[in-house]
Amino acid sequence: MVRSSRPARVVSAISITVALILSACSAGPGGSTAPSGTGSLTVLDWAGYDAPDFWIDFQKAYPKVKVGFEIGASDADIYGKMSSGDQADIFHPYTGWLQFYVDQGLVEPIDTSKLKNWSMVPDSFKKIGQIGGKQYFIPWDWGFTSILYRTDKIKSVDSWSALFNPAYKGHISMWDDGPGAVTVSSYIHGWDETKITADQLAQIKTEWTAQKALNLFYWSGEPELVQGMQTGDVWAAYAWQGAYATLLTKGVPVAYATPKEGRNSWVGVYGIRKGTPNLDLAYKFLDAKLGVATGNNVVTQFYYGSANSKVMSSITDATLKQAFSIDDPAILQHTNFTPNLTDAQRKAWGAMWTEVKAGS
Amino acid sequence: MLGRRSTFWLLSVPPLLWLLVFFAAPLLLMGAISLSGDVSGALFNLSNPTVDQYRIVLGEAGYLRLLGISVLMALGVGLIATALAFPIAYFLTFRAGRRAGFYLVLLLVPFWTSYLLRVMAWKLMLGSEGVVNSFLEWARVIQSPLEFLLYNRGTVVITLIYVWIPFAVLPIYAAMTRIDRPLLEAAADLGAGPWARFGRVTMPLALPGAIAAFFMVFIPTVGEYVTPLLVGGSSGSMYGNLVQDFFTKAANWPLGAALAIVMLVLTLVLVAVAVRLIDVRRFATL
Repeated sequence: MVRSSRPARVVSAISITVALILSACSAGPGGSTAPSGTGSLTVLDWAGYDAPDFWIDFQKAYPKVKVGFEIGASDADIYGKMSSGDQADIFHPYTGWLQFYVDQGLVEPIDTSKLKNWSMVPDSFKKIGQIGGKQYFIPWDWGFTSILYRTDKIKSVDSWSALFNPAYKGHISMWDDGPGAVTVSSYIHGWDETKITADQLAQIKTEWTAQKALNLFYWSGEPELVQGMQTGDVWAAYAWQGAYATLLTKGVPVAYATPKEGRNSWVGVYGIRKGTPNLDLAYKFLDAKLGVATGNNVVTQFYYGSANSKVMSSITDATLKQAFSIDDPAILQHTNFTPNLTDAQRKAWGAMWTEVKAGS
Repeated sequence: MLGRRSTFWLLSVPPLLWLLVFFAAPLLLMGAISLSGDVSGALFNLSNPTVDQYRIVLGEAGYLRLLGISVLMALGVGLIATALAFPIAYFLTFRAGRRAGFYLVLLLVPFWTSYLLRVMAWKLMLGSEGVVNSFLEWARVIQSPLEFLLYNRGTVVITLIYVWIPFAVLPIYAAMTRIDRPLLEAAADLGAGPWARFGRVTMPLALPGAIAAFFMVFIPTVGEYVTPLLVGGSSGSMYGNLVQDFFTKAANWPLGAALAIVMLVLTLVLVAVAVRLIDVRRFATL
């Protein structure tokens, strides 16, 4: 046999090294052959939901499985990460952002017969995770969006247009989000939010640019908003009911409006990354996510609703009942679910919002 | 035994590799992303490079306006922080004596806490229930809290100046400690008063340090985004916030990358022009 020349040996050495590294990467932590009681799982989630309280059922059932968390700052951030090849096994998007994952083949269809807790999820929630007749996502947390206001500063709020009221100049806080801004404007104008035209978008941009002079700050995390309302700097804000319940327990005089245009409602779902080597564990994790103890923690600690109907029907706390409007049988008629964004909408609405913030 | 050559390679290869992998490669990657048309699906598929993103950046007056404002803010922050740092450095060099080391440590103590915490502290200072307002209300100077203290561009500038002063002191201090004391004595012997000594000896010799301090503050401040996010409110955002928004909020990495590259190029041009105009060496050899 002819001895290979020196460069050839170097090349083959390098390629062997690269191949070794690549194979080590693709096997991943735990690997696919790990028995179900061990191994590891990576979850791409929002800050706060990484606390063990929010996956306590799984931790109790599989104490030996190592669960790691990556934190996403927003839906756009999570989507950006997943579409650029993030290796998380499970991720947590919200209504509005689901279609992209299916279109790009980033999410594994879910065989719900493998989920023991699935029967406790109401059909209306199950539907939210279905796209094209297939169950791609497991609904988990939900809540309202409405206007939260300080009752000692503002008598009453009955419309989303309160966010544009010059009487509250310097005391309004909008959520830092383009699609959120489009939603509010389309409620006010009675437009179909899935069919916003270019002209309407231009008008929305003009209106929010004018609103900027009234707006104190755009909040991006709920604690930021809670602090602003607690100090009395913010009187009226676009808010989720988590902020409402938190302020109620702190004794701050606040009310959560039922605007005549209707509240907005959102649902958080979990999806499994297509091609994950830890499919079995991912199923077990999602099943445990729907467990009662986990759901109770979401309700009592973050004041968000659980997709588990058993959890919701057992709520007795007055503050929580008020936050979810559980005793108001008509509240769901005053609620609009967030529709799924298209690619073009996501881009155009995001750009519109950034231009609003960049403008004078 | 290692030869000179192998020692050189041994010492310089690790940092070079580090820079290559964690600085040059990401920068190139960002440049590449800025040339792609869309984030969906084909983020790293660069078979169809396009300058569409740059067309959008340069076509949107709002973005360029904010870039201009950010440059002006950085200019202000850089000049004021350097001006305020100058006397501190002077004190440390010429007046503090043996305690200079101790004072230097004091100056750097804030860095033992997180940046976020220091910026949040300004919220506690300037908020409507903050230290300043509470004191003024207690002293009956004002009836209701002053609202212009927080959440505007002025607050961002004040906070940034605070953050940068200790950094700005260091290069000026380094330049001043290198000043030969006999030069000052000679000036005094030749009849120069304190002001003349400062103006003709200390100042010119410390200037290279001051210029370095200015650029050290100016360059990162142009792209600043955390401070405006925390204390700027809706009217205090800077160009860096746009970049951040396109990455984390609008899921439009290509446009965010293009914005970042435009800023990088502009900053480099500004610094090159400034270095040309000022001619640092002239001061150094004066």
